[in-house]
Amino acid sequence: MRIGNRRSPPAPDAELIRSLAALLAETGLSEIEYESDGYRIRVARETAPAAAAAPALARPAAPPPAALEPVPPAAGGNGAAHPGAVTAPMVGVAYLAAQPGTPPFVQIGDTVTEGQTLLIIEAMKVMNQIRAPRDGQIARILIEDAEPVEYGAALMLIE
Amino acid sequence: MFEKVLIANRGEIALRIHRACREMGIKTVAVHSTADAAAMNVRLADESVCIGPPPARGSYLNIAAIVSAATITGADAIHPGIGFLSENADFAAVVEEHGFVFIGPSAEHIRVMGDKVRAKEAAQRLGIPTVPGSPEALLDIAAASAAAQSVGYPVLLKASAGGGGRGMKLAHNEAELARMLPLAQAEAKAAFANDAVYLERYLDRPRHIEVQLLGDGDGSVIHLGERDCSLQRSHQKVLEETPSPALSEASRQRLLSLTVNALKKLGYKSAGTIEFLYQDGEFYFIEMNTRLQVEHPISEMVSGVDIVREQIRIAAGEPLALSQSDIQLRGHAIECRINAESPDDFRPSPGRISEYHAPGGLGIRVDSGAYQGYTVPPYYDSLIGKLVVHGANRDECLMRLSRALDEYVIGGIETTLPLHQRLMANAEFRRGDYHIHWLEEFLARGR
Repeated sequence: MRIGNRRSPPAPDAELIRSLAALLAETGLSEIEYESDGYRIRVARETAPAAAAAPALARPAAPPPAALEPVPPAAGGNGAAHPGAVTAPMVGVAYLAAQPGTPPFVQIGDTVTEGQTLLIIEAMKVMNQIRAPRDGQIARILIEDAEPVEYGAALMLIE
Repeated sequence: MFEKVLIANRGEIALRIHRACREMGIKTVAVHSTADAAAMNVRLADESVCIGPPPARGSYLNIAAIVSAATITGADAIHPGIGFLSENADFAAVVEEHGFVFIGPSAEHIRVMGDKVRAKEAAQRLGIPTVPGSPEALLDIAAASAAAQSVGYPVLLKASAGGGGRGMKLAHNEAELARMLPLAQAEAKAAFANDAVYLERYLDRPRHIEVQLLGDGDGSVIHLGERDCSLQRSHQKVLEETPSPALSEASRQRLLSLTVNALKKLGYKSAGTIEFLYQDGEFYFIEMNTRLQVEHPISEMVSGVDIVREQIRIAAGEPLALSQSDIQLRGHAIECRINAESPDDFRPSPGRISEYHAPGGLGIRVDSGAYQGYTVPPYYDSLIGKLVVHGANRDECLMRLSRALDEYVIGGIETTLPLHQRLMANAEFRRGDYHIHWLEEFLARGR
């Protein structure tokens, strides 16, 4: 899914990041920002020893010419192929709690049983409960509260 | 004007609509099934949302998913394209109820024109000539027989809720009528969950002629000329041209003015097409399509008007910027539909396009989402591109079209390009001497 600024970032250039991180250590700087072709990579560290922070990737609104862009994987993308993935059966807005301010239905590490409500997807003003397809433990929650999700998107992993 | 339009369709027509939006500075949202994630219209759109699995019922016909996608992307308007939900009055109504603009006519006009019996009544009220036929659904053989007597044999039985040729049965006499009525009713019930059928006089060698119209809902209506879509196979158009090689100027002007007047009376808003059968100098209403049509580019080529742009402008509440006197129809245009099908038996030929080269040059337009490496999915209709050619006159147009067909390379799958090349070499076609059964006869001769 590409929605507004929520476009999934391109695959990070690992080699470039590694060389920037090395430069950071070498120069003793706390931060390096590198921008090229509309991609911006920021490498920063808080304190020694040098721990390269996760790179912040920004992408301009206009994509490069589509024909040259690598074809995105089928819907779902990250995690959807995982055997324990709970995927969105519909397009809508996912909510992790029944009401704003109330505790979430589940948290990482919770043990769930088949049929237990994991989250809600709101579609056309209808709240649809998304239930656990099997017993297990919540290993990951892949979405934020109130995040728009498309059909097939991975929502949580149950192990 | 809208800031963001969601395009609720796929394939070349979704790309066509995206192009109009882009040229108007409008952002686009592509919705797609899992099978279409790599489609060109999805790749070019500003935003995209996967709305369901490959079968259209779960995706391109899924009203809730499309409206949800419009909600999460913050679109202002939804363009339904062609097919799928484009003539679904309930969809148009739901879209508006959720606060989005439906880029098309009112739900009421879609509803009336989508019901064959009500559409014919409306046409008669609006002064559009219709094929002599039964006024209402036929419940039994007595009613059918009386109706057939009054219109004259041969008669064609048709499903009230139908289209695409399903539920149609021909009867030359009363005995055949008695045999065909229950068959037509059963087919209508199976295809449309409604067994109502009616009958009409059958025309043996008509041409299919339609008029492209644009109305703004405030009584302004213009036409962009007629299109001759008589080359058909199994009720599917294969090649269309404008102007029709069969019409005299007097007949053409009569047709164009009666359709414009009808839509003025109706107060029609958006792009629409009224389709006719034409035989022995008379026009008979077939139906009205309350949407964009596949073959709209040929009208654009001779008029210079971007029909999708006008559709969007009208939906945004702007009046028609053009009057009829602004429209100059110049030259001749032909569209060839390129389908991923065997050119011999029309078996679908989905698969990966290994080579792709589109023709170019003056007067050539290719509307297609195909590219080298694209895989034509097996789930949808087989149209993968439209080759549209303009020339100063019909002869120039045919020469240019032959040249362009020879340049067009689509490898890895079978397409109907060779069929179009065969047509170009046919003397009857080159003379414009054909009718709606001609192509099937031509194909039968070729076997």
